Amino acid sequence: MIKSKNEAIVSQNYVPTNCEILSITTLTPSEKLFKIKMPNGKELGHMPGQFVQVSIPGLTEAPISVASSPTRKGYFELAVRNAGTLTGALHKLDEGDYLGIRGPFGSCFDIEAMKGKNLLLISGGCGLAPMRSLIQYCEDNIDEFENVKILYGAKNPEQMLFKDEIRQWEESRHFNCLYTVDEIKSGDNYKGKVGLITKLIPPLNIDKNNTIAVIIGPPVMYKFVIAELMKKGINEEQIIVSLERYMRCGIGKCGHCVIEHKYCCIDGPVFWLKDVMELKGAL
Amino acid sequence: MKALTSAEMKSFLKSLTGEYDVRAPVRLEDGTRALGHLDEGRLAIEGGPIARKPNDIFFPQFDVILNAKGNKFKVADSLQKPLFVIGFTAEDCECLEFVDKFYSENFRDEIYFAKRDKAVIAAVSGKCGKDGEMLKIAGGKCDLEFIYDGSKYIVCAYTLKGKKIEEKIKCEEKSAKIDELKKLSDSIHNEDLEILKKAGELIRKNAVPDDFWKEIANRCISCTACNIACPTCTCFDVCDHDRERVIERIRMWDSCQLDGFMREASGHNPLGEEYLRARRRIHHKLAADYERWGHITCFLCGRCDDVCPTNIGIKSVNREIVKRFG
Repeated sequence: MIKSKNEAIVSQNYVPTNCEILSITTLTPSEKLFKIKMPNGKELGHMPGQFVQVSIPGLTEAPISVASSPTRKGYFELAVRNAGTLTGALHKLDEGDYLGIRGPFGSCFDIEAMKGKNLLLISGGCGLAPMRSLIQYCEDNIDEFENVKILYGAKNPEQMLFKDEIRQWEESRHFNCLYTVDEIKSGDNYKGKVGLITKLIPPLNIDKNNTIAVIIGPPVMYKFVIAELMKKGINEEQIIVSLERYMRCGIGKCGHCVIEHKYCCIDGPVFWLKDVMELKGAL
Repeated sequence: MKALTSAEMKSFLKSLTGEYDVRAPVRLEDGTRALGHLDEGRLAIEGGPIARKPNDIFFPQFDVILNAKGNKFKVADSLQKPLFVIGFTAEDCECLEFVDKFYSENFRDEIYFAKRDKAVIAAVSGKCGKDGEMLKIAGGKCDLEFIYDGSKYIVCAYTLKGKKIEEKIKCEEKSAKIDELKKLSDSIHNEDLEILKKAGELIRKNAVPDDFWKEIANRCISCTACNIACPTCTCFDVCDHDRERVIERIRMWDSCQLDGFMREASGHNPLGEEYLRARRRIHHKLAADYERWGHITCFLCGRCDDVCPTNIGIKSVNREIVKRFG
């Protein structure tokens, strides 16, 4: 288990804190980025990989990964796909509106284990949102890591998240950033690679003895990406995965996110692969 | 030792109602034996385990946990008086002990403990099962115990809260034969316990194939009665109800036997197949919880076997596992 540095101890563990929306940016036709501040100048206190429960009275809650790094002070960001009643209502909110936040919850990326290592950060679809928290963290502490490679796969050019930032990561001397889309249609103004994200891995030059890979994406992606990494000599002790599950409480009580004996909301969502690869239904 | 006759028990429980919110097994007008207030029906302590899990008093089927006016949520009011609950069997006490541990570790669940912390739990045991059958003596894991010797309830207090109640009882029974009752209790042979342990070992050794769970799934009608009846099933869902400008956030029991239990907004459903849900119900208590908590979390209260319309309660399934794969 990768423990959070800041074990979230909330005195009233089911009561959300009202937080103001500072700005809203449209990322894709179905995704928006919410920049949010805690009341009284407080920080959320999260680490990359953690999530919060977002609450709207009347519509209950949904777990959303934090998309910004704790090194960016005074706010935190959530990238939200319009996929249900609550997220649909979130998409209708405006700047200056308030939403309820509980958390941060869950485990975070094992930053200490990553220090001094080459990082291979692989995300698909919405998985780039929590990965962005880690990428920003690396950007702000770049001396602590060796080479940082970012691989991203989206379904099509329209659904690519954080396009402007991907361009900046491509141009940054700190990162080696590659991206691909599964498909394009005629009329797409897209010059990048086309094909599944797994195709980005074989050509890479990876130092198998000094690399940690992080994978975040849709459930179908994991086993194929893991298989490609293993062909490169990366083993389960060098791979971190972040798993999506349906979390209703965030504090290990409601039972919806259970994977065998692990609770994704408190033991995860970030796991070392070695700790979950044998669990039925994990990947 | 302190002791009470059935008639004295009734008046004693009534005497506690000033200080405590007393709940006891009562016979309701429709004939049901359930935990209730003393004015809801005739006191019915004898008769064995009550059908409904008694620890649901701390974690009811629907529980208002928060209220919101506008955007501001606050914790809903809890009970005015501490609870005094009589009617737990020895097995129910073991279930309660586990659920207390479950709710206190990692994050302490404030909603549960607002009711539980001040509550006094009284077990009932001895010759007061169905038709006078001997019920196992809890011997702890509760605040106090009433052990029936066939004519009187002998009182054994285990905690300070229990001793406080015991002090209120004035009736003494000098000839109480508690040692004899303990010997009787120890001599109760529980074949199901051996079978439970063996089934657990087989599941943990991966000796139970998916095809077996597919057979069980074929016999399951997904009525969810097993989860609803089980004292160690704690899964819940959350919903908001709009009640005249006040939003109530409610948690309510949920069941891993339902298709949508784990379905995510993306459509991904880790328990999307029936056999995975049939497996989860039993694997979770015999293998997953064993790994996490160091012990099996079925305490053989028998309720899921009693309520299952297709005879696939945990005892039945365990017997089948041991017979076929043991």
